[in-house]
Amino acid sequence: MRSLLDFLVRHSYVFLFLLLEILSLVLLFGFNDRQKEAFMTSANSFSGTLLEWSSGVDQFFSLRKENARLVQENTMLRDMLYELSDSQYVDQQRALSSADIVAARVVDNTIRKDDNYLTINKGSRDGLIPGMGVYNQDGVVGVVMVTGKRYSVVLPVLNGSSSISCKKKGSDSFGFLEWGGGDPYVAQLKDMPYHSAVEIGDTIVTTGFSSVFPENVPVGTVAGVERSKNGYTLKIQVNLSCDLSNLGWVYVHTRTADEEIESLYEQISD
Amino acid sequence: MDKRSFMFRLFSLIGLALLQVLILNRICLFGYVTPLFYIWMIIRFDSAMKRSAILLWAFFLGLIIDLFSGTPGLNAASATLLAMFQPGIVKLFVPLDRHDVLVPCSATMGGRPFAGYLLLMITLHHSVYFILRSIPLGDWTMLVLKVVFSALLTFVFMLVTEHVSGGSGTKR
Repeated sequence: MRSLLDFLVRHSYVFLFLLLEILSLVLLFGFNDRQKEAFMTSANSFSGTLLEWSSGVDQFFSLRKENARLVQENTMLRDMLYELSDSQYVDQQRALSSADIVAARVVDNTIRKDDNYLTINKGSRDGLIPGMGVYNQDGVVGVVMVTGKRYSVVLPVLNGSSSISCKKKGSDSFGFLEWGGGDPYVAQLKDMPYHSAVEIGDTIVTTGFSSVFPENVPVGTVAGVERSKNGYTLKIQVNLSCDLSNLGWVYVHTRTADEEIESLYEQISD
Repeated sequence: MDKRSFMFRLFSLIGLALLQVLILNRICLFGYVTPLFYIWMIIRFDSAMKRSAILLWAFFLGLIIDLFSGTPGLNAASATLLAMFQPGIVKLFVPLDRHDVLVPCSATMGGRPFAGYLLLMITLHHSVYFILRSIPLGDWTMLVLKVVFSALLTFVFMLVTEHVSGGSGTKR
């Protein structure tokens, strides 16, 4: 008995090892099922602050470029405004879109992993909730997944579990944009009916069905079209218009679905 | 453990974690090669350390990196496993009759044995790390490529560090 106790004491590190490994694996497989808690991701304010500070240094050096980009975007918006100024459309749009956008800065971003995430410096305090669409001047970035108080984690297009409903610009047949890993500039549009006339070079935009994104936010251009294995749908390669490796500021679409639509869906699922 | 070496370890833990999270995690050659240099701390644990202390230091090192990389448990699991085998792996590369306190480095072990020790440690850690990260396992070729090239990059980083620090193996 005594020697058994001695043995156990002398090898207590083995139990410590097992304990720590089990703890790590619980963390790994418990949290990675897309239900990450804010405190274990970069949405917690401690690591958020550190990452923001570090990306602040990065951005300082790209201010000149950022300025040029903003001027360009301003010019474009002004042009659009002039074109529209005498129509009622502007007022309508203004009423529709008032205070529906929150600008946020990307403080952490990966594009190299199989499942990428990015962190932005706006959180529940700023009215963000999971499920809101994120885009920038070039196009769709992703969807808010977890919100902390001051930071949020975004599930970008470049993540295996991301799926965004998209259509060809000007048409109504739609499919779902997914990413199968690999090239961070190309994603796949699936489930598009095979009779839809999609050609290389066509522009793909969001549908606005789910109110995650407004309608017609650019997604990318068609780079290749093929029939899927079942023959009923098309599999379309899309060159993403937004360069996810180089994100500064992004916009969060904070307008959520109409309550009426939501309640209808709830009735169906009940 | 005296207070001085505790503080030294604490600072190297923070330093290595910052280096990994802020700089090395952003390196991404060919889309998948990333150096995991932070295990340098585990590689340099001396032979006088208690095994439970080695495990705890490694676990917290990995956990801190996980916290900032959004990969809870991944680095903690692979670093703890590496720490479990570190004392045994050191023994493979030094003569059996050595009983003095030894900080693994080229000066105390000799250049070649140290390089072998580094390679074995890095390969073990990177294999566990990338296997855990790629679950559910599918693409084995990609997995092997990731392990081999990331391990090579880490190895080069460590050789440079060892060279710059002059192979100093004095007991701190």
